[in-house]
Amino acid sequence: MSHHYLDVRDLRYAYPDGTEALKGVSFRLEHGEACALVGANGAGKSTMMLALTGLILPSGGTVDVGGTVLSKKTAADVRRRIGFVFQDSEDQLFMPTVFDDVAFGPLNQGLSEAEVRNRVSVALSEAGAEHLADRPTHRLSGGEKRSVAIATVLAMLPDILILDEPGSGLDPYGRRLLVGMLRNFRHTRLIATHDLDLVLDVCPRTIVLHEGKVAADGPTADIFRRADLLERCRLEVPFRMQNGLSK
Amino acid sequence: MSGSIERNLSALAEAVDHSQASGLVHGLDPRAKILVTLLFVIAVTSFGKYEVSRLMPFALYPAVLTGLSGVSPGRVLKRTLIAAPFVLFVGLFNPLFDRTPLLRIGPLVLTGGWMSFFSIIARSFLAVSAAVLLVLTTRFDLLCLGLERMGIPRVFVVQLQFLWRYLVLLAGEAQRMVRAHTLRSWGNRSGVSLKTFASLAGSLLLRTLDRAGRVYGAMKARGFDGEIRMLRPLSFSLSRDGLFLLAWGGYFLVCRFVNLPELLSGAVGR
Amino acid sequence: MHMADALISPEVGGAMWVVTAGLVAWSAKKLKEDPDEGRIPLMGVLGAFIFAAQMINFSIPATGSSGHLGGGMILAALLGPYAAFLTLASVLVVQALFFADGGLLALGCNIFNMGFFSCFVAYPLIYRLIAGTGRNRNRILAASVLSSVAGLQLGAFSVVLQTVASGISELPFGTFVMLMQPIHLAIGIVEGFVTAGVILFVLKARPEVLEAAGGGTRLRGVSLRTVLAGLAAAAILTGGVLSWFASAYPDGLEWSIAKTTGSEELAAPGTGLHSSLAGLQETTAILPDYGFRAGSGDDGAAEASEEAAWPNPDMGTSLSGLAGGAMTLALAGLIGFALRRSAGARK
Repeated sequence: MSHHYLDVRDLRYAYPDGTEALKGVSFRLEHGEACALVGANGAGKSTMMLALTGLILPSGGTVDVGGTVLSKKTAADVRRRIGFVFQDSEDQLFMPTVFDDVAFGPLNQGLSEAEVRNRVSVALSEAGAEHLADRPTHRLSGGEKRSVAIATVLAMLPDILILDEPGSGLDPYGRRLLVGMLRNFRHTRLIATHDLDLVLDVCPRTIVLHEGKVAADGPTADIFRRADLLERCRLEVPFRMQNGLSK
Repeated sequence: MSGSIERNLSALAEAVDHSQASGLVHGLDPRAKILVTLLFVIAVTSFGKYEVSRLMPFALYPAVLTGLSGVSPGRVLKRTLIAAPFVLFVGLFNPLFDRTPLLRIGPLVLTGGWMSFFSIIARSFLAVSAAVLLVLTTRFDLLCLGLERMGIPRVFVVQLQFLWRYLVLLAGEAQRMVRAHTLRSWGNRSGVSLKTFASLAGSLLLRTLDRAGRVYGAMKARGFDGEIRMLRPLSFSLSRDGLFLLAWGGYFLVCRFVNLPELLSGAVGR
Repeated sequence: MHMADALISPEVGGAMWVVTAGLVAWSAKKLKEDPDEGRIPLMGVLGAFIFAAQMINFSIPATGSSGHLGGGMILAALLGPYAAFLTLASVLVVQALFFADGGLLALGCNIFNMGFFSCFVAYPLIYRLIAGTGRNRNRILAASVLSSVAGLQLGAFSVVLQTVASGISELPFGTFVMLMQPIHLAIGIVEGFVTAGVILFVLKARPEVLEAAGGGTRLRGVSLRTVLAGLAAAAILTGGVLSWFASAYPDGLEWSIAKTTGSEELAAPGTGLHSSLAGLQETTAILPDYGFRAGSGDDGAAEASEEAAWPNPDMGTSLSGLAGGAMTLALAGLIGFALRRSAGARK
């Protein structure tokens, strides 16, 4: 039960041309934890997430997903446990209808038709998107795309959810729905985002990434109070904490 | 395709929205609709080139479908009109080359060329309207499923589905690029210059290749192993779809081999 | 250069469908033998790219008109002939369905005319030979222009053959050829330049793309056999049709006239609407000089064979037939309207 952990040790990644994107990242997420990953553009957030899901293979270090260590052989297995929500939903919704997209993962898992249908309807209702089942994926609004993208991942019953900028492109209402959804999930969650107010609402813990390394890792409220740290990492104090608006 | 990107995109969006409706015609098995449409087109195009009046009874099919499905006739008509520049161009040569008089109505002499020209127009209207109605009353994903059950190779059907899914997105990107360019240039009416096109298309192509990579990554992240699996079996109901197929198929056969207009004239006369 | 249903006969359309279906099945089989997971999203997205790129009009220099990209050559360079053919075919299917470009019966012709020649003939035999997978600008330019021209010339010629063989259009073969070929020569040259422009753009920005795509196994997969088989099928078809035309033009015409002239099309009985129309028909009767009579089918056929150019009037062109036709059209419209009203009332 308590094995939905994510243990990263000295993770390194270098691009083919030699540039080092990740220079030794280490942290551990426990079962059910909600943790934010913040950092400037280019700090290595996206690279790290691709490495965690095995979409790119690290050049060094280990990634342990609930007991399975990531390697070329175990990549497919790791992906079964990690639900990765992309920043651009258009890349993630590639089937003709919403139903097809949410069913894609379960079908690949070899489930029976009845099981697949069940997974799809549960996932869609968790994401608040049941009414969209027969809609063509290219006829969805930005917020709807995001909800459906989340559903496609939920349907695979992942242990760990990794989301890349889930709030981007959403209007305030969509964002509020998203925050509600994320707070209610019981999965282990790692959320990369620029939206520090979202972090305050959803993630008790924050990891700050700067130039490929972990610059800070601790309770969100503490980290966001350290203006000098944030500035050094090219971040800013969240809006609601500016001008002494909040504690 | 003629017309601006905007117009094409909205035509596509319209068609997609229409196909999502529910109703008698929408609920029919796509295989039945595909077959009937094909039979229709074959029957219409099998007439001799001077045939005009015997094509008229075929108009019942698009008329009934339009009525039953709630599609607006104006929309169907509009699309049949857009279709035709090449046809009209070629068709207009008929009166030029075929001057044998065929029919005189008062002072007006209709040559064979004109009769065949009208026949061409009638065929065009009929054939295009049948295709338009097929697409407006059938969800594209179900259409593809129907094609697959009818024997089209899976790789081609999957290709159709992916193409359709990303079509609107890429057309939108193209539209934005053209707009951005138009804002920075002196608005050439008939299009961008060759050089500009090469760089517009070139950048769009590069972005497309990148997207292909990301989509592939997303597919792998959800367990893709090379095979696209699809659910939602179609159910062909003999009473509903079989009846549709037989009834219309039978009607087309009758129209093809019995001269209904003459019969009707005769009956009215009597 | 799209064939339309209005100009095609079921025989020609059906024959081309058979050829196209064969090519599609063959390409699908070849792709299965060389599995590549990433190809599925790539084909789909590239198809969408071609579609979108075709929507961008460019103005052709020295003329006022606009043109658009065909795309076969670019697809073939990126995907290899089989995948490119299927991608182009899918684009044409969607265009036929959603934009009424061409028709459903003519779709087989269109896929063949625009897909086969560019992917299986022009690309492997011309483009690859001249440009290979290298980066030489001049070679790419020459290869693009020559292969575009060749592909379009062959495609346009096919359109002529298919149209003439169908017998709906009156355009004589010679005239049609003189119209189509020069126009498509010009289009081919322009498209060649544009294709080269796009390829060179991509090469400059991301050279590895084309090398990875075009090199190695992809071309090895296109056996000369495939190309020859396709050409043979097309040749047999067109040869058969041409000889039918050349030797038996009058016979062919008569045969189709006789076929569509049924014995049902005899002169009308004489009462009621008919007699009043008959009176009208006296005045509007087919000009006697040409020897037509609303006579029996046999006579019609005999006359037709004597004067092959004179069509038989008993093909629904009689006035009563037209009147009946107008009535049926009106009836159809009324029925459709009534259905709509009742459907609206039910809502």
